[in-house]
Amino acid sequence: MRQIAAAVAALVLLSLSALAFGRSPIELLQILVSGSIGSQFALEGTLLKSVPLLLTGLSVAVAFRAGVWNIGGEGQFIVGAIAAIMAARFGVIAALAASMLAGALWASIATSMRLWRNAPEVLTTILLNFIAIHLLGWCVNGPLQERGGQYPQTDAAAAALPQVGELHAGVLLAILASVATWFLLYRTMEGLRLRATGFNARAAKWAGIDVDRQLVRAMGISGALAGLAGGIELLGVTHRLFERFAAGYGYSGIAVALLAQLHPLATIASSIFFGALTTGAGELQRTAGISSNVATFGEAVVILILILFGSWRARD
Amino acid sequence: MIDVILHALPIAIVASTPLLLAVEGEMVVQRAGIINLGIEGMMLTAAMTAVLAQHATESVLAGFAGGILGALLVAAIFGVFAIRYRADQIVTGTAINLLALGLTGFVYQAAGGALFAASAMSEAAQYVAVLLAWIAIPAALAVMLWMTRFGLRLRAAGENPEAVQHVHAYRWSALAIEALLAGAGGAFLALALSSGFAENMTAGRGFIALSIVIFGRWKVRGAIIGTALFGVAAGLQYTLQAMNIGLPFHLLLAVPYVVTLLILCGIAGRVRAPEALGR
Repeated sequence: MRQIAAAVAALVLLSLSALAFGRSPIELLQILVSGSIGSQFALEGTLLKSVPLLLTGLSVAVAFRAGVWNIGGEGQFIVGAIAAIMAARFGVIAALAASMLAGALWASIATSMRLWRNAPEVLTTILLNFIAIHLLGWCVNGPLQERGGQYPQTDAAAAALPQVGELHAGVLLAILASVATWFLLYRTMEGLRLRATGFNARAAKWAGIDVDRQLVRAMGISGALAGLAGGIELLGVTHRLFERFAAGYGYSGIAVALLAQLHPLATIASSIFFGALTTGAGELQRTAGISSNVATFGEAVVILILILFGSWRARD
Repeated sequence: MIDVILHALPIAIVASTPLLLAVEGEMVVQRAGIINLGIEGMMLTAAMTAVLAQHATESVLAGFAGGILGALLVAAIFGVFAIRYRADQIVTGTAINLLALGLTGFVYQAAGGALFAASAMSEAAQYVAVLLAWIAIPAALAVMLWMTRFGLRLRAAGENPEAVQHVHAYRWSALAIEALLAGAGGAFLALALSSGFAENMTAGRGFIALSIVIFGRWKVRGAIIGTALFGVAAGLQYTLQAMNIGLPFHLLLAVPYVVTLLILCGIAGRVRAPEALGR
Protein backbone atom coordinates (compact mmCIF):
# COMPACT_ATOMS: atom_id res chain seq x y z
CA MET A 1 0.00 0.00 0.00
CA ARG A 2 2.74 2.41 1.03
CA GLN A 3 4.56 1.56 -2.16
CA ILE A 4 1.61 2.52 -4.32
CA ALA A 5 1.14 5.74 -2.37
CA ALA A 6 4.80 6.58 -2.86
CA ALA A 7 4.57 5.95 -6.58
CA VAL A 8 1.47 8.12 -6.89
CA ALA A 9 3.01 10.90 -4.81
CA ALA A 10 6.10 10.84 -7.03
CA LEU A 11 3.94 11.15 -10.14
CA VAL A 12 2.11 14.15 -8.68
CA LEU A 13 5.42 15.85 -7.82
CA LEU A 14 6.74 15.08 -11.29
CA SER A 15 3.73 16.55 -13.01
CA LEU A 16 4.23 19.78 -11.08
CA SER A 17 7.63 20.06 -12.73
CA ALA A 18 5.75 20.86 -15.95
CA LEU A 19 5.18 24.31 -14.49
CA ALA A 20 8.90 24.96 -14.93
CA PHE A 21 8.33 24.63 -18.66
CA GLY A 22 5.19 26.72 -18.60
CA ARG A 23 2.94 23.76 -19.28
CA SER A 24 0.04 22.31 -17.38
CA PRO A 25 0.74 19.39 -15.05
CA ILE A 26 -2.36 17.60 -16.35
CA GLU A 27 -1.00 17.72 -19.89
CA LEU A 28 2.30 16.27 -18.68
CA LEU A 29 0.55 13.42 -16.89
CA GLN A 30 -1.51 12.71 -20.00
CA ILE A 31 1.59 12.46 -22.17
CA LEU A 32 3.33 10.38 -19.52
CA VAL A 33 0.44 7.89 -19.37
CA SER A 34 -0.35 7.73 -23.09
CA GLY A 35 3.35 7.49 -23.91
CA SER A 36 3.88 4.54 -21.60
CA ILE A 37 0.68 2.47 -21.52
CA GLY A 38 -1.67 4.31 -23.88
CA SER A 39 -1.15 2.16 -26.95
CA GLN A 40 0.13 -1.27 -27.80
CA PHE A 41 3.31 0.30 -29.15
CA ALA A 42 3.83 2.29 -25.96
CA LEU A 43 3.13 -0.74 -23.82
CA GLU A 44 5.72 -2.78 -25.68
CA GLY A 45 8.22 0.02 -25.16
CA THR A 46 7.47 -0.02 -21.45
CA LEU A 47 7.93 -3.78 -21.19
CA LEU A 48 11.22 -3.60 -23.10
CA LYS A 49 12.51 -0.97 -20.68
CA SER A 50 11.27 -2.99 -17.69
CA VAL A 51 13.48 -5.97 -18.54
CA PRO A 52 16.89 -4.43 -17.70
CA LEU A 53 15.31 -2.60 -14.77
CA LEU A 54 13.92 -5.86 -13.39
CA LEU A 55 17.31 -7.54 -13.58
CA THR A 56 19.30 -4.65 -12.12
CA GLY A 57 16.57 -4.35 -9.49
CA LEU A 58 17.00 -8.01 -8.58
CA SER A 59 20.75 -7.48 -8.48
CA VAL A 60 20.32 -4.71 -5.92
CA ALA A 61 17.71 -6.69 -3.97
CA VAL A 62 20.02 -9.68 -3.50
CA ALA A 63 22.95 -7.50 -2.47
CA PHE A 64 21.01 -5.27 -0.07
CA ARG A 65 19.23 -8.30 1.45
CA ALA A 66 22.65 -9.72 2.25
CA GLY A 67 23.77 -6.38 3.66
CA VAL A 68 26.20 -5.68 0.84
CA TRP A 69 26.22 -2.22 -0.73
CA ASN A 70 26.56 -3.06 -4.39
CA ILE A 71 26.09 0.32 -6.10
CA GLY A 72 28.03 -1.07 -9.06
CA GLY A 73 25.12 -2.29 -11.18
CA GLU A 74 25.99 0.19 -13.90
CA GLY A 75 29.52 -1.12 -14.35
CA GLN A 76 28.46 -4.77 -14.12
CA PHE A 77 25.77 -4.06 -16.73
CA ILE A 78 28.42 -2.65 -19.07
CA VAL A 79 30.99 -5.42 -18.72
CA GLY A 80 28.15 -7.94 -19.11
CA ALA A 81 27.27 -6.41 -22.46
CA ILE A 82 30.92 -6.25 -23.57
CA ALA A 83 31.37 -9.93 -22.74
CA ALA A 84 28.11 -10.79 -24.49
CA ILE A 85 29.12 -9.15 -27.75
CA MET A 86 32.51 -10.86 -27.66
CA ALA A 87 30.96 -14.28 -27.02
CA ALA A 88 28.04 -13.81 -29.40
CA ARG A 89 29.69 -15.72 -32.21
CA PHE A 90 29.41 -18.85 -30.07
CA GLY A 91 25.64 -18.43 -29.87
CA VAL A 92 23.09 -16.71 -27.69
CA ILE A 93 23.43 -19.02 -24.73
CA ALA A 94 27.20 -18.62 -24.62
CA ALA A 95 26.76 -14.85 -24.85
CA LEU A 96 24.30 -14.79 -21.95
CA ALA A 97 26.55 -17.02 -19.86
CA ALA A 98 29.51 -14.76 -20.64
CA SER A 99 27.56 -11.68 -19.57
CA MET A 100 26.71 -13.23 -16.20
CA LEU A 101 30.27 -14.38 -15.66
CA ALA A 102 31.68 -10.97 -16.56
CA GLY A 103 29.26 -9.18 -14.23
CA ALA A 104 30.10 -11.54 -11.39
CA LEU A 105 33.85 -11.17 -11.95
CA TRP A 106 33.63 -7.38 -12.15
CA ALA A 107 31.71 -7.33 -8.86
CA SER A 108 34.20 -9.69 -7.30
CA ILE A 109 36.96 -7.11 -7.79
CA ALA A 110 35.13 -5.07 -5.17
CA THR A 111 34.62 -8.16 -3.00
CA SER A 112 38.29 -9.03 -2.97
CA MET A 113 39.27 -5.46 -2.16
CA ARG A 114 36.87 -5.58 0.75
CA LEU A 115 38.11 -8.92 2.05
CA TRP A 116 41.83 -8.30 1.62
CA ARG A 117 42.17 -4.58 2.17
CA ASN A 118 38.94 -3.72 3.97
CA ALA A 119 38.03 -1.21 1.25
CA PRO A 120 34.30 -0.37 1.58
CA GLU A 121 32.38 -1.90 -1.33
CA VAL A 122 30.00 1.05 -1.47
CA LEU A 123 32.90 3.13 -2.84
CA THR A 124 34.81 0.51 -4.82
CA THR A 125 31.69 -0.57 -6.73
CA ILE A 126 30.94 3.05 -7.66
CA LEU A 127 34.53 3.64 -8.79
CA LEU A 128 34.37 0.46 -10.86
CA ASN A 129 31.34 1.96 -12.63
CA PHE A 130 33.45 4.84 -13.89
CA ILE A 131 36.21 2.48 -14.96
CA ALA A 132 33.69 0.32 -16.85
CA ILE A 133 32.31 3.38 -18.63
CA HIS A 134 35.78 4.30 -19.89
CA LEU A 135 36.50 0.68 -20.76
CA LEU A 136 33.37 0.74 -22.90
CA GLY A 137 34.52 4.02 -24.46
CA TRP A 138 37.81 2.39 -25.36
CA CYS A 139 36.11 -0.73 -26.76
CA VAL A 140 33.78 1.14 -29.11
CA ASN A 141 36.53 3.50 -30.24
CA GLY A 142 39.20 0.83 -30.44
CA PRO A 143 39.28 -2.95 -30.58
CA LEU A 144 35.53 -3.49 -30.97
CA GLN A 145 34.74 -0.57 -33.28
CA GLU A 146 32.60 -1.33 -36.32
CA ARG A 147 34.42 -2.40 -39.45
CA GLY A 148 33.67 0.82 -41.30
CA GLY A 149 35.26 2.69 -38.40
CA GLN A 150 32.92 5.62 -38.88
CA TYR A 151 31.00 5.84 -35.63
CA PRO A 152 32.04 4.99 -32.08
CA GLN A 153 29.97 1.82 -31.96
CA THR A 154 30.39 -1.89 -32.59
CA ASP A 155 29.01 -3.98 -35.42
CA ALA A 156 25.75 -5.77 -34.70
CA ALA A 157 26.25 -8.78 -32.43
CA ALA A 158 26.62 -12.13 -34.19
CA ALA A 159 23.67 -13.55 -32.28
CA ALA A 160 20.34 -12.19 -31.07
CA LEU A 161 17.66 -13.29 -28.63
CA PRO A 162 14.68 -14.94 -30.34
CA GLN A 163 11.72 -12.62 -30.86
CA VAL A 164 8.47 -13.21 -29.00
CA GLY A 165 5.91 -11.15 -30.90
CA GLU A 166 7.24 -7.60 -30.76
CA LEU A 167 9.24 -8.43 -27.64
CA HIS A 168 12.28 -10.62 -27.16
CA ALA A 169 12.88 -13.75 -25.13
CA GLY A 170 14.69 -11.67 -22.50
CA VAL A 171 11.29 -10.79 -21.03
CA LEU A 172 10.78 -14.43 -20.11
CA LEU A 173 14.34 -14.78 -18.89
CA ALA A 174 13.93 -11.77 -16.60
CA ILE A 175 10.73 -13.13 -15.08
CA LEU A 176 12.40 -16.50 -14.67
CA ALA A 177 15.31 -14.76 -12.96
CA SER A 178 13.01 -13.09 -10.46
CA VAL A 179 11.29 -16.37 -9.58
CA ALA A 180 14.70 -18.03 -9.24
CA THR A 181 15.95 -15.20 -7.03
CA TRP A 182 12.84 -15.47 -4.87
CA PHE A 183 13.36 -19.22 -4.57
CA LEU A 184 17.01 -18.75 -3.69
CA LEU A 185 16.35 -16.11 -1.04
CA TYR A 186 13.25 -17.57 0.59
CA ARG A 187 13.26 -21.30 -0.04
CA THR A 188 16.87 -22.40 0.37
CA MET A 189 19.33 -22.59 3.26
CA GLU A 190 21.71 -20.51 1.20
CA GLY A 191 19.13 -17.74 0.97
CA LEU A 192 18.48 -17.90 4.69
CA ARG A 193 22.18 -17.48 5.35
CA LEU A 194 22.35 -14.52 2.99
CA ARG A 195 19.39 -12.83 4.62
CA ALA A 196 20.61 -13.60 8.12
CA THR A 197 23.95 -11.99 7.27
CA GLY A 198 22.20 -8.93 5.95
CA PHE A 199 19.85 -8.70 8.90
CA ASN A 200 22.57 -8.87 11.52
CA ALA A 201 26.05 -9.92 10.49
CA ARG A 202 27.29 -10.27 14.06
CA ALA A 203 24.45 -12.57 15.06
CA ALA A 204 24.89 -14.57 11.87
CA LYS A 205 28.54 -15.05 12.71
CA TRP A 206 27.61 -16.27 16.19
CA ALA A 207 25.17 -18.69 14.61
CA GLY A 208 28.05 -20.24 12.71
CA ILE A 209 27.61 -18.59 9.34
CA ASP A 210 30.74 -17.78 7.38
CA VAL A 211 29.95 -14.11 6.81
CA ASP A 212 32.82 -13.52 4.37
CA ARG A 213 31.60 -16.34 2.18
CA GLN A 214 28.10 -14.83 2.12
CA LEU A 215 29.63 -11.55 0.99
CA VAL A 216 31.42 -13.30 -1.88
CA ARG A 217 28.25 -15.12 -2.94
CA ALA A 218 25.89 -12.16 -2.64
CA MET A 219 28.22 -9.98 -4.70
CA GLY A 220 28.69 -12.76 -7.24
CA ILE A 221 24.96 -13.34 -7.72
CA SER A 222 24.24 -9.64 -7.71
CA GLY A 223 26.95 -8.96 -10.30
CA ALA A 224 25.78 -11.86 -12.47
CA LEU A 225 22.21 -10.48 -12.51
CA ALA A 226 23.38 -6.99 -13.50
CA GLY A 227 25.71 -8.50 -16.11
CA LEU A 228 22.82 -10.55 -17.49
CA ALA A 229 20.78 -7.34 -17.75
CA GLY A 230 23.52 -5.87 -19.95
CA GLY A 231 23.73 -9.03 -22.04
CA ILE A 232 19.98 -9.17 -22.62
CA GLU A 233 19.77 -5.48 -23.45
CA LEU A 234 22.51 -5.98 -26.05
CA LEU A 235 21.21 -9.22 -27.57
CA GLY A 236 17.54 -8.26 -27.47
CA VAL A 237 17.32 -4.50 -27.98
CA THR A 238 20.36 -2.53 -29.11
CA HIS A 239 22.36 -5.33 -30.81
CA ARG A 240 25.34 -2.97 -30.74
CA LEU A 241 27.46 -1.29 -28.12
CA PHE A 242 27.94 2.47 -28.06
CA GLU A 243 29.23 4.93 -25.50
CA ARG A 244 25.99 5.71 -23.68
CA PHE A 245 24.83 2.10 -23.72
CA ALA A 246 24.17 1.77 -19.98
CA ALA A 247 21.89 4.82 -19.70
CA GLY A 248 21.71 4.63 -15.92
CA TYR A 249 19.99 1.23 -15.68
CA GLY A 250 22.37 0.20 -12.91
CA TYR A 251 21.51 3.15 -10.70
CA SER A 252 17.81 2.90 -11.52
CA GLY A 253 17.92 -0.65 -10.19
CA ILE A 254 18.35 0.79 -6.71
CA ALA A 255 15.06 2.65 -6.95
CA VAL A 256 13.38 -0.41 -8.46
CA ALA A 257 14.55 -2.67 -5.63
CA LEU A 258 13.67 -0.21 -2.87
CA LEU A 259 10.15 0.35 -4.21
CA ALA A 260 9.74 -3.44 -4.18
CA GLN A 261 11.01 -3.51 -0.60
CA LEU A 262 13.82 -5.77 -1.83
CA HIS A 263 11.36 -8.56 -2.63
CA PRO A 264 12.20 -10.40 -5.87
CA LEU A 265 8.60 -10.96 -6.98
CA ALA A 266 7.45 -7.44 -6.12
CA THR A 267 10.40 -6.26 -8.20
CA ILE A 268 8.46 -7.31 -11.31
CA ALA A 269 5.70 -4.79 -10.61
CA SER A 270 8.18 -2.15 -9.53
CA SER A 271 10.25 -2.54 -12.69
CA ILE A 272 7.15 -2.12 -14.85
CA PHE A 273 6.32 1.09 -13.00
CA PHE A 274 9.78 2.53 -13.58
CA GLY A 275 9.82 1.13 -17.13
CA ALA A 276 6.62 3.05 -17.80
CA LEU A 277 8.10 6.16 -16.22
CA THR A 278 11.22 5.94 -18.40
CA THR A 279 9.22 5.30 -21.56
CA GLY A 280 6.74 8.06 -20.76
CA ALA A 281 9.62 10.44 -20.04
CA GLY A 282 11.09 9.66 -23.47
CA GLU A 283 7.73 10.60 -25.01
CA LEU A 284 7.71 13.84 -23.00
CA GLN A 285 11.06 14.76 -24.49
CA ARG A 286 9.87 14.03 -28.02
CA THR A 287 6.44 15.67 -27.97
CA ALA A 288 6.65 18.36 -25.30
CA GLY A 289 10.36 19.13 -25.19
CA ILE A 290 10.45 18.36 -21.48
CA SER A 291 13.74 16.74 -20.53
CA SER A 292 13.61 12.98 -20.02
CA ASN A 293 15.65 13.63 -16.89
CA VAL A 294 12.28 13.69 -15.13
CA ALA A 295 12.62 9.89 -14.97
CA THR A 296 15.83 10.10 -12.90
CA PHE A 297 14.22 12.79 -10.79
CA GLY A 298 11.20 10.52 -10.33
CA GLU A 299 13.36 7.64 -9.12
CA ALA A 300 14.93 9.86 -6.48
CA VAL A 301 11.56 11.18 -5.37
CA VAL A 302 10.17 7.65 -5.00
CA ILE A 303 13.09 6.63 -2.76
CA LEU A 304 12.79 9.76 -0.62
CA ILE A 305 9.02 9.38 -0.23
CA LEU A 306 9.48 5.74 0.77
CA ILE A 307 11.89 6.91 3.46
CA LEU A 308 9.32 9.44 4.66
CA PHE A 309 6.76 6.67 4.89
CA GLY A 310 9.16 4.85 7.12
CA SER A 311 9.54 1.69 5.12
CA TRP A 312 13.30 1.99 4.88
CA ARG A 313 14.51 2.83 8.35
CA ALA A 314 18.04 2.74 9.60
CA ARG A 315 18.99 -0.78 10.56
CA ASP A 316 20.62 -0.15 13.91
CA MET B 1 60.84 11.17 -12.72
CA ILE B 2 61.21 13.74 -9.91
CA ASP B 3 61.32 16.32 -12.65
CA VAL B 4 58.03 15.15 -14.07
CA ILE B 5 56.36 15.21 -10.67
CA LEU B 6 57.68 18.67 -9.79
CA HIS B 7 56.41 19.94 -13.08
CA ALA B 8 53.03 18.32 -12.59
CA LEU B 9 52.56 19.47 -8.99
CA PRO B 10 51.33 23.05 -9.52
CA ILE B 11 48.83 21.93 -12.14
CA ALA B 12 47.71 19.06 -9.94
CA ILE B 13 47.21 21.41 -6.99
CA VAL B 14 44.96 23.77 -8.91
CA ALA B 15 43.09 20.95 -10.63
CA SER B 16 42.39 19.11 -7.38
CA THR B 17 41.29 22.16 -5.41
CA PRO B 18 37.57 21.36 -5.76
CA LEU B 19 38.35 17.82 -4.68
CA LEU B 20 40.26 19.03 -1.61
CA LEU B 21 37.36 21.26 -0.58
CA ALA B 22 35.06 18.25 -0.86
CA VAL B 23 37.47 16.08 1.12
CA GLU B 24 37.63 18.68 3.90
CA GLY B 25 33.85 18.94 4.00
CA GLU B 26 33.27 15.21 4.02
CA MET B 27 35.89 14.78 6.74
CA VAL B 28 34.02 17.17 9.02
CA VAL B 29 30.66 15.53 8.42
CA GLN B 30 32.08 12.03 8.93
CA ARG B 31 33.73 13.20 12.15
CA ALA B 32 30.21 13.99 13.29
CA GLY B 33 29.12 10.46 12.41
CA ILE B 34 27.51 10.95 9.02
CA ILE B 35 28.54 9.34 5.75
CA ASN B 36 27.31 11.68 3.06
CA LEU B 37 27.39 9.82 -0.23
CA GLY B 38 25.26 12.64 -1.58
CA ILE B 39 28.29 14.94 -1.70
CA GLU B 40 28.52 14.08 -5.40
CA GLY B 41 25.06 15.52 -5.98
CA MET B 42 25.87 18.42 -3.69
CA MET B 43 28.87 19.43 -5.81
CA LEU B 44 26.97 18.91 -9.04
CA THR B 45 24.13 21.12 -7.86
CA ALA B 46 26.59 23.73 -6.62
CA ALA B 47 28.35 23.77 -9.99
CA MET B 48 25.05 24.56 -11.65
CA THR B 49 23.76 27.15 -9.20
CA ALA B 50 27.17 28.84 -9.27
CA VAL B 51 26.94 29.28 -13.03
CA LEU B 52 23.33 30.46 -12.78
CA ALA B 53 24.22 32.99 -10.06
CA GLN B 54 27.24 34.24 -11.96
CA HIS B 55 25.09 34.67 -15.03
CA ALA B 56 22.54 36.70 -13.15
CA THR B 57 25.05 39.00 -11.46
CA GLU B 58 28.19 38.84 -13.62
CA SER B 59 30.18 38.49 -10.42
CA VAL B 60 32.43 35.58 -9.49
CA LEU B 61 31.84 36.15 -5.80
CA ALA B 62 28.09 35.93 -6.29
CA GLY B 63 28.74 32.77 -8.31
CA PHE B 64 30.45 31.22 -5.31
CA ALA B 65 27.63 32.37 -3.06
CA GLY B 66 25.17 30.76 -5.46
CA GLY B 67 27.13 27.53 -5.45
CA ILE B 68 27.20 27.42 -1.67
CA LEU B 69 23.48 28.18 -1.52
CA GLY B 70 22.77 25.29 -3.89
CA ALA B 71 24.88 22.95 -1.80
CA LEU B 72 23.13 24.12 1.37
CA LEU B 73 19.77 23.29 -0.18
CA VAL B 74 20.95 19.77 -1.01
CA ALA B 75 22.38 19.45 2.49
CA ALA B 76 19.03 20.48 3.94
CA ILE B 77 17.25 17.71 2.02
CA PHE B 78 19.89 15.17 3.01
CA GLY B 79 19.74 16.28 6.64
CA VAL B 80 15.97 16.04 6.88
CA PHE B 81 16.11 12.41 5.83
CA ALA B 82 19.41 11.24 7.30
CA ILE B 83 19.41 13.24 10.57
CA ARG B 84 15.79 14.13 11.29
CA TYR B 85 14.25 10.83 10.12
CA ARG B 86 17.38 8.75 10.74
CA ALA B 87 17.02 7.05 7.38
CA ASP B 88 19.80 4.88 6.08
CA GLN B 89 22.56 7.28 5.07
CA ILE B 90 23.75 5.34 2.05
CA VAL B 91 20.25 4.97 0.62
CA THR B 92 19.56 8.65 1.26
CA GLY B 93 22.86 9.68 -0.31
CA THR B 94 22.13 7.60 -3.40
CA ALA B 95 18.69 9.16 -3.72
CA ILE B 96 20.23 12.64 -3.34
CA ASN B 97 22.66 11.89 -6.15
CA LEU B 98 19.86 10.74 -8.46
CA LEU B 99 17.85 13.81 -7.48
CA ALA B 100 20.72 16.17 -8.27
CA LEU B 101 21.53 14.39 -11.51
CA GLY B 102 17.90 14.55 -12.62
CA LEU B 103 17.30 18.14 -11.53
CA THR B 104 20.49 19.61 -12.98
CA GLY B 105 19.99 17.67 -16.21
CA PHE B 106 16.44 18.98 -16.30
CA VAL B 107 17.48 22.62 -15.87
CA TYR B 108 20.38 22.17 -18.29
CA GLN B 109 18.04 20.95 -21.02
CA ALA B 110 15.49 23.62 -20.20
CA ALA B 111 18.30 26.15 -20.76
CA GLY B 112 18.77 24.70 -24.20
CA GLY B 113 21.85 22.63 -23.34
CA ALA B 114 24.09 25.64 -22.90
CA LEU B 115 25.11 26.96 -19.49
CA PHE B 116 28.38 28.78 -19.93
CA ALA B 117 30.03 30.91 -17.30
CA ALA B 118 29.52 34.60 -17.99
CA SER B 119 33.25 35.25 -17.70
CA ALA B 120 36.31 33.31 -16.65
CA MET B 121 37.53 33.57 -13.08
CA SER B 122 40.63 35.79 -12.99
CA GLU B 123 43.95 34.14 -12.26
CA ALA B 124 44.46 36.23 -9.14
CA ALA B 125 41.10 35.12 -7.76
CA GLN B 126 41.99 31.50 -8.54
CA TYR B 127 45.24 31.81 -6.57
CA VAL B 128 43.36 33.22 -3.60
CA ALA B 129 40.92 30.32 -3.73
CA VAL B 130 43.73 27.77 -4.02
CA LEU B 131 45.61 29.27 -1.07
CA LEU B 132 42.44 29.30 1.01
CA ALA B 133 41.66 25.68 0.19
CA TRP B 134 45.16 24.31 0.73
CA ILE B 135 46.34 26.41 3.71
CA ALA B 136 43.81 28.65 5.44
CA ILE B 137 40.82 26.29 5.53
CA PRO B 138 42.78 23.22 6.69
CA ALA B 139 44.36 25.28 9.46
CA ALA B 140 40.97 26.61 10.50
CA LEU B 141 39.43 23.14 10.43
CA ALA B 142 42.27 21.68 12.50
CA VAL B 143 41.84 24.39 15.14
CA MET B 144 38.07 23.97 15.13
CA LEU B 145 38.10 20.18 15.39
CA TRP B 146 40.88 19.78 17.93
CA MET B 147 41.08 23.00 19.95
CA THR B 148 37.55 24.16 20.51
CA ARG B 149 34.70 22.90 22.64
CA PHE B 150 32.50 22.91 19.53
CA GLY B 151 34.96 20.63 17.71
CA LEU B 152 35.23 18.26 20.64
CA ARG B 153 31.47 17.88 20.81
CA LEU B 154 31.19 17.56 17.05
CA ARG B 155 33.66 14.68 17.16
CA ALA B 156 31.84 13.17 20.13
CA ALA B 157 28.65 13.18 18.06
CA GLY B 158 30.52 10.88 15.71
CA GLU B 159 32.20 8.72 18.35
CA ASN B 160 29.67 8.36 21.10
CA PRO B 161 26.46 10.24 20.41
CA GLU B 162 24.89 9.09 23.67
CA ALA B 163 27.43 11.22 25.54
CA VAL B 164 26.52 14.46 23.79
CA GLN B 165 23.56 16.72 24.29
CA HIS B 166 21.99 18.04 21.09
CA VAL B 167 23.66 15.50 18.79
CA HIS B 168 21.41 16.63 15.96
CA ALA B 169 22.55 20.23 16.29
CA TYR B 170 26.21 19.20 15.92
CA ARG B 171 25.43 16.96 12.98
CA TRP B 172 23.46 19.70 11.27
CA SER B 173 26.36 22.11 11.84
CA ALA B 174 28.82 19.62 10.37
CA LEU B 175 26.54 19.18 7.38
CA ALA B 176 26.35 22.94 6.91
CA ILE B 177 30.15 23.20 7.02
CA GLU B 178 30.36 20.45 4.44
CA ALA B 179 27.89 22.24 2.19
CA LEU B 180 29.94 25.43 2.50
CA LEU B 181 33.11 23.65 1.41
CA ALA B 182 31.65 21.29 -1.20
CA GLY B 183 29.58 24.16 -2.57
CA ALA B 184 32.70 26.28 -2.99
CA GLY B 185 34.35 23.26 -4.60
CA GLY B 186 31.54 22.84 -7.10
CA ALA B 187 31.65 26.58 -7.87
CA PHE B 188 35.43 26.47 -8.41
CA LEU B 189 34.99 23.49 -10.70
CA ALA B 190 32.44 25.27 -12.89
CA LEU B 191 33.83 28.80 -12.82
CA ALA B 192 37.61 28.24 -12.73
CA LEU B 193 38.38 24.80 -14.14
CA SER B 194 35.59 24.69 -16.71
CA SER B 195 33.82 27.41 -18.57
CA GLY B 196 30.39 26.55 -17.31
CA PHE B 197 28.11 23.67 -16.45
CA ALA B 198 27.87 20.36 -18.26
CA GLU B 199 25.72 17.35 -17.39
CA ASN B 200 27.25 15.17 -14.69
CA MET B 201 30.39 17.32 -14.78
CA THR B 202 31.57 16.33 -11.29
CA ALA B 203 32.30 12.87 -12.75
CA GLY B 204 32.63 11.07 -9.43
CA ARG B 205 34.69 13.69 -7.56
CA GLY B 206 32.41 13.29 -4.56
CA PHE B 207 33.08 9.55 -4.39
CA ILE B 208 36.81 10.13 -4.83
CA ALA B 209 36.61 12.61 -1.95
CA LEU B 210 34.99 9.98 0.28
CA SER B 211 37.79 7.57 -0.57
CA ILE B 212 40.46 10.13 0.30
CA VAL B 213 38.81 10.88 3.64
CA ILE B 214 39.23 7.21 4.55
CA PHE B 215 42.77 7.13 3.17
CA GLY B 216 43.59 10.23 5.22
CA ARG B 217 42.22 8.53 8.32
CA TRP B 218 39.76 11.36 9.00
CA LYS B 219 42.63 13.78 9.68
CA VAL B 220 43.29 17.20 8.19
CA ARG B 221 46.88 16.35 7.33
CA GLY B 222 45.78 13.07 5.74
CA ALA B 223 43.21 14.94 3.67
CA ILE B 224 45.86 17.25 2.24
CA ILE B 225 48.44 14.56 1.62
CA GLY B 226 45.85 12.21 0.14
CA THR B 227 44.47 14.84 -2.21
CA ALA B 228 47.95 15.95 -3.36
CA LEU B 229 48.93 12.34 -3.94
CA PHE B 230 45.77 11.73 -5.91
CA GLY B 231 46.22 14.96 -7.85
CA VAL B 232 49.73 14.06 -8.95
CA ALA B 233 48.82 10.47 -9.79
CA ALA B 234 45.70 11.47 -11.69
CA GLY B 235 47.67 14.20 -13.44
CA LEU B 236 49.84 11.43 -14.85
CA GLN B 237 47.12 10.84 -17.41
CA TYR B 238 47.96 14.18 -19.04
CA THR B 239 51.69 13.54 -18.81
CA LEU B 240 51.23 10.13 -20.40
CA GLN B 241 48.98 11.65 -23.02
CA ALA B 242 51.61 14.28 -23.84
CA MET B 243 54.36 11.66 -23.95
CA ASN B 244 52.28 9.88 -26.57
CA ILE B 245 53.45 6.39 -25.67
CA GLY B 246 50.50 4.78 -27.36
CA LEU B 247 48.19 4.22 -24.43
CA PRO B 248 44.68 4.77 -25.76
CA PHE B 249 43.07 8.04 -24.71
CA HIS B 250 39.90 6.37 -23.40
CA LEU B 251 41.82 4.13 -21.05
CA LEU B 252 43.78 7.12 -19.73
CA LEU B 253 40.45 8.68 -18.75
CA ALA B 254 40.01 5.83 -16.28
CA VAL B 255 43.30 6.64 -14.52
CA PRO B 256 41.82 8.80 -11.71
CA TYR B 257 39.38 6.06 -10.73
CA VAL B 258 42.02 3.34 -10.82
CA VAL B 259 44.24 5.56 -8.68
CA THR B 260 41.39 5.99 -6.20
CA LEU B 261 40.83 2.23 -6.05
CA LEU B 262 44.53 1.78 -5.32
CA ILE B 263 44.34 4.49 -2.66
CA LEU B 264 41.41 2.67 -1.03
CA CYS B 265 43.37 -0.58 -1.11
CA GLY B 266 46.41 1.16 0.31
CA ILE B 267 44.81 1.57 3.70
CA ALA B 268 47.24 -0.75 5.34
CA GLY B 269 46.58 -2.01 8.81
CA ARG B 270 43.56 -1.21 10.89
CA VAL B 271 41.72 1.97 10.10
CA ARG B 272 39.77 3.37 12.97
CA ALA B 273 36.70 5.17 11.71
CA PRO B 274 34.62 7.38 13.99
CA GLU B 275 32.80 4.88 16.19
CA ALA B 276 29.24 5.94 15.36
CA LEU B 277 29.86 6.57 11.66
CA GLY B 278 26.79 5.78 9.60
CA ARG B 279 24.49 5.37 12.59
